Amino acid sequence: MPLLELDGLSRRFGALLAVDTVDLRVETGEIRAIIGPNGAGKSTLFNLITSVVKPTAGRVRFANEDITGLPVQEVAQKGIARTFQLCHLFPALSARENVRIAAQARDQGRWRFFGGDAVLRRSAEQADAALQRLGLERHADALAGTLGHGDQRLLEVAMALAQRPRLLLLDEPTQGLSVKETDHTVDILKSMLADRDLSMILVEHDMEVVFRLADFVTVLHRGRVLADGPPAVVKESAQVRSAYLGEFA
Amino acid sequence: MNWKHGFIGAALLCALLPFALPQYMLTIVVEALIFGLLAMSLDLMVGYCRLYSFGHAAAYGLGAYACGMLLKHFALPLPIGILLAVAITVVIAIPIAWICTRSTGVSFAMLTLAFAQLGYAMLYRFKEITGGSDGIDGIPRPPGPFNIAWFESKLGYYYLVLFCLLGSYLLCRAIVRSPFGTVLAAIRENEVKARSLGYNTRRYKLATVVLAYGFGALAGALYAPFAGFASPELFFWLTSGRVLIMVVVGGAGTLVGPILGGGAFLILENELSQLTDSWPLIFGTIFIAFVMFAPQGIWGLITGRFGRSAIAASAARTEEAPDAAA
Repeated sequence: MPLLELDGLSRRFGALLAVDTVDLRVETGEIRAIIGPNGAGKSTLFNLITSVVKPTAGRVRFANEDITGLPVQEVAQKGIARTFQLCHLFPALSARENVRIAAQARDQGRWRFFGGDAVLRRSAEQADAALQRLGLERHADALAGTLGHGDQRLLEVAMALAQRPRLLLLDEPTQGLSVKETDHTVDILKSMLADRDLSMILVEHDMEVVFRLADFVTVLHRGRVLADGPPAVVKESAQVRSAYLGEFA
Repeated sequence: MNWKHGFIGAALLCALLPFALPQYMLTIVVEALIFGLLAMSLDLMVGYCRLYSFGHAAAYGLGAYACGMLLKHFALPLPIGILLAVAITVVIAIPIAWICTRSTGVSFAMLTLAFAQLGYAMLYRFKEITGGSDGIDGIPRPPGPFNIAWFESKLGYYYLVLFCLLGSYLLCRAIVRSPFGTVLAAIRENEVKARSLGYNTRRYKLATVVLAYGFGALAGALYAPFAGFASPELFFWLTSGRVLIMVVVGGAGTLVGPILGGGAFLILENELSQLTDSWPLIFGTIFIAFVMFAPQGIWGLITGRFGRSAIAASAARTEEAPDAAA
């Protein structure tokens, strides 16, 4: 039984069919990369899975449950966490508080007005663990908005991790990072998957990152799935090459 | 010195204040405390959740009118009347908050203003009940349960108001530090992210508006029996504007700041209006000066947290506002 199942998912923006009848299956423990030229519909696909935009047609099933069109926060509560292409943080709060808020989101006590000390303590412990995991503990007390670009990206991953997700969607996690930072991020992402019951979908432009991380690659082009398979197979596909060279129509 | 020492020190100072003041000053000090409470209630919305209300007079007016009518027409003890007025306002605030939180930013501000003006208009529409432009006068201060009557005197009333203000401050302080309250800061910082983490941000905002109405109504309910009357101007947009100015001048997002801002505003207004007719001009200048040179407000200046108040932080952030659905 796949963890995530997209069934004929489409989204139209006016005359543009941004995502066109996409079928996709992601198994538990799988890492899937979604690649494709700019405007291929990768970010829209993420927004459809997380219900930020509602599909024009098709269904999204997660853990054997239809989650199509659920409010954004309820999709998150089902166990889907995401990062954004442009970092989304709480800039005037400390890095630790950013992650703590993320951990608290999955806590039953997140509504408490009074007597929530146990909730605060619990989420702070989870936040420290997530920060440590991403190697950010030395920045814990810095304001998120003052961190460097690379650390902000890692912080958003730490937040997603603190949500204890079953599926993690990463939108270009290495965008704008130096080679060294990219290596660091890839190592961390790999280690995260090594001992966790976690699936991951990442949108990524850096092919090297894709080939180092992904079990499967889906190529999107003009909203459609162009190719789908293990990295090595997709790499050799003539169709994919021509799509990137702009000859495919 | 931690905050507890500061709190106890301030409470003692306030408790002893009436003995250091001439009798006639006591009236204005009571009003200052009431306005401080009102400003603090608005700070829950403005400072912690960046919900700019231009209609907080509605909370104040509702509390004052509800309390006035209850005390005048039913022989209720004063504390019961005040608490009932708060409860009534909270119930009325729920649908108002539900509608207002459907929108954000400027439209949220306009909706809150619209509800306050609606209340203002209704006072004239239902003259028989509300007294129209005359308002409600002759509001008594009936003795409390067990014949506690000390708040019938002005000094006694001062302590009642002080007790309510300090109690409300402790409650609000606990709320903004609770799991609930920390989410408000997250919503203020980036609502899209807060929602994508799994928080139902609309409900958090709704609860915040209702809480702010509740504490604002307490201020109004304390005011009506003290002044002995409730007039339509309590509902007027000028009142809303004044409270908002108090929050900004005092220091949004600090709770203490708006209390100081509210108190300072009222006392200064009282003093200045005796000196000159153009006192609003001076106020305008002070307000502009704070917005331009000290956006962290009075409390921010005192504690030296430059540029760290909610408003300052939000101003610094506007340029990096992220695009949600890109």
